[in-house]
Amino acid sequence: MKGITRKFIRINLSNGKIEEEAIPEPVETDFIGGRGFGIHYLYRELAPETDPLGEHNKMIFVAGPLAGTNAQAVSRWMVCTRSPLTGALARSVAGADFGAWIKFAGYEFILVEGKAERPVYIHLTRDACQIQPAGELWGKDTVVTQEWLSQRHGLNTRAACIGPGGENLVKYAAIVTNRRTASRCGVGAVMGSKNLKAIAINAERNLQLHDPEGFKQLVKQQIQMMMANKAFQHHREMGTTGNTENTNELGIFPTKNFRYGRLDDYEKLVGEEYLKHRIGDFGCYSCAARCGKVHRVTRGPYAGAQSEGPEYESIWAFSGTIENSYLEATIAADQLCDDMGIDTISTGNTIGFAYELYEKGLLTKKDTDGLELKYGNHKAMVALVGKIARREGIGDLLAEGTMRVAASIGKGAEAFAINAKGLELPAYEPRGAKSLGFNFATSNIGGSHSYGFATQEIFGALFPRKVDRFAEEENADIVVFNQNNVAVAEVGIACSFSRGWFPQVYDKLLIAATGIDKIAESGYLPRVGERIVNLERAFIVREGFGRKQDTLPQRMLSEPLHTRGAPGEGQTIRNLDKFLDRYYEIRGWTPQGIPSPEKLKELGLGYAVKDMAQSQNVKAT
Amino acid sequence: MSVQIDIPPLLRHLTDGATTAKVKGSTVGDCLNHFVGQYPRTKKLLFDKDGKLLRYVEVYVNKVTTYPEETAAPVNDGDEISIVYVIAGG
Repeated sequence: MKGITRKFIRINLSNGKIEEEAIPEPVETDFIGGRGFGIHYLYRELAPETDPLGEHNKMIFVAGPLAGTNAQAVSRWMVCTRSPLTGALARSVAGADFGAWIKFAGYEFILVEGKAERPVYIHLTRDACQIQPAGELWGKDTVVTQEWLSQRHGLNTRAACIGPGGENLVKYAAIVTNRRTASRCGVGAVMGSKNLKAIAINAERNLQLHDPEGFKQLVKQQIQMMMANKAFQHHREMGTTGNTENTNELGIFPTKNFRYGRLDDYEKLVGEEYLKHRIGDFGCYSCAARCGKVHRVTRGPYAGAQSEGPEYESIWAFSGTIENSYLEATIAADQLCDDMGIDTISTGNTIGFAYELYEKGLLTKKDTDGLELKYGNHKAMVALVGKIARREGIGDLLAEGTMRVAASIGKGAEAFAINAKGLELPAYEPRGAKSLGFNFATSNIGGSHSYGFATQEIFGALFPRKVDRFAEEENADIVVFNQNNVAVAEVGIACSFSRGWFPQVYDKLLIAATGIDKIAESGYLPRVGERIVNLERAFIVREGFGRKQDTLPQRMLSEPLHTRGAPGEGQTIRNLDKFLDRYYEIRGWTPQGIPSPEKLKELGLGYAVKDMAQSQNVKAT
Repeated sequence: MSVQIDIPPLLRHLTDGATTAKVKGSTVGDCLNHFVGQYPRTKKLLFDKDGKLLRYVEVYVNKVTTYPEETAAPVNDGDEISIVYVIAGG
């Protein structure tokens, strides 16, 4: 029996109207929270073909039902909106404290709609919500902005804000809280388009749990399990910096804009090397892992640079992309991205793309403001980061992301644009980690590793089964499993690193927090995960996406991978069509990649059937 | 006594593509040493310079972790050893 009411706050920036709304019980039961609420409300509230940077796009800042509690690694939050980078769904996840603070304010999520006439920020407490002028903050970076808000509203303030990247509508701008980012899909640009500089929350810890005593006991169990878990211990020690050696040994560390699977002198960028620069660590709310490792540069051209990071993806973004092994440059570029509020992955990938265009003569020194984009030139790379955030010179073009840059330049540039559905690919080579590659192809947000990470082929994980990382359609079930499984974790919203730390406790924590007893039923949570992925799919089908867009960059389909001695030499994606046929069959989707009426009804999503029938994809077939 | 080791993706280029190996021993440590004897190049991705299991290598016997006993954990005839890299990435 539930004893709590869950609600959200709707804030309209156009007319200043602010209201609370209760979340109906059937929605809670079907979607539980977090990402489930995000897609449920976005699907229902957003009209198809809404301009992502227009007044009518909406943003959902959502925490999970476990956020703000003592439970470990479950206080993350995310933004759901329509992406200006891809035109598809944006689901962008972040850490630090902000998720807990959303809950302390009394809400499951904050829904922002409309557009302010001039720069504003939202100030939210448990008792009040105000839209405040932010003129003096406009143009300020994310550090200054957060400091200003803390000085104005007190040290107990937690803010999610944009920097110049979001203000300048960089298509892959991020939202920053502390030094953590909701970075993918351009959610910062959506905030910028609304003239919304920040959401600042002041609130004391104040939570309602369905079963507080039971929850307390479960947290004790959870902590005991984590302390006895080797993966947790390693993560606490190294964060993700240890992955560079692994992926280079596997031949899946994308190098020179995804032409090679190994960086020649990657040993200069392994975890032990970053350890030499480490000055501290940072943890998200109620997480003992403290996996954010803080690094400082003390000498050389980047002396003084300091960043919470780079973590694995950002290490790659500023090394493999341009064949750079000067570690200090990765710290400087990472810091600059976080200060300016732009996504490290898309930034690094786009810069790597620009270097290849330069190599091929499609960009010249005249185009690049005099910068020499020769592989290994890390100074030009760091300069480009700032130019992109400010949309200065060549940065104005690169701020559009690889898909639009390629379309703008033409002359075959598309062949070197490494994205899926317009979202730049991250730090894993699809030809050498094919389940992950096919996840990039089929993900409803585009080229995201975290949408369906394949631990089986990257780390040898045993669950649900072992996989051959070069197999294709044989692993379609694994891609489906991983995507659904991530969706389950993100109703929590549990950290993606934590999934193996406390598997037996997660669902019990959800029950104790929400009172949704059905979670205990066998197969219930996997079904919720499947429901979320299907509704997300329906969302992008409604926007015109289908089989044609479920693809990988031309390079992966036609050029053999070169691994410089690592395994996987000569691999390509052999038969994408065969994979898609099998994947859609398992999903219960049509051969065009559209959820079938039967599948939608089976998942309680019958309301989407009509939309699918009206979609362009169906009309086209 | 025969035990099977499932060779993880990270080691397969060092085992000529083999995905499993038959080893002998009464502990995980014995079995891993026997394995390294068959494929010496795998040693750098299993043990540190002091001969201790690398801090990011986790060994399972019949899908149950051996942590914290690790190399001291006993094995029986017919057991299956799996090696998982507990690295986080992304």
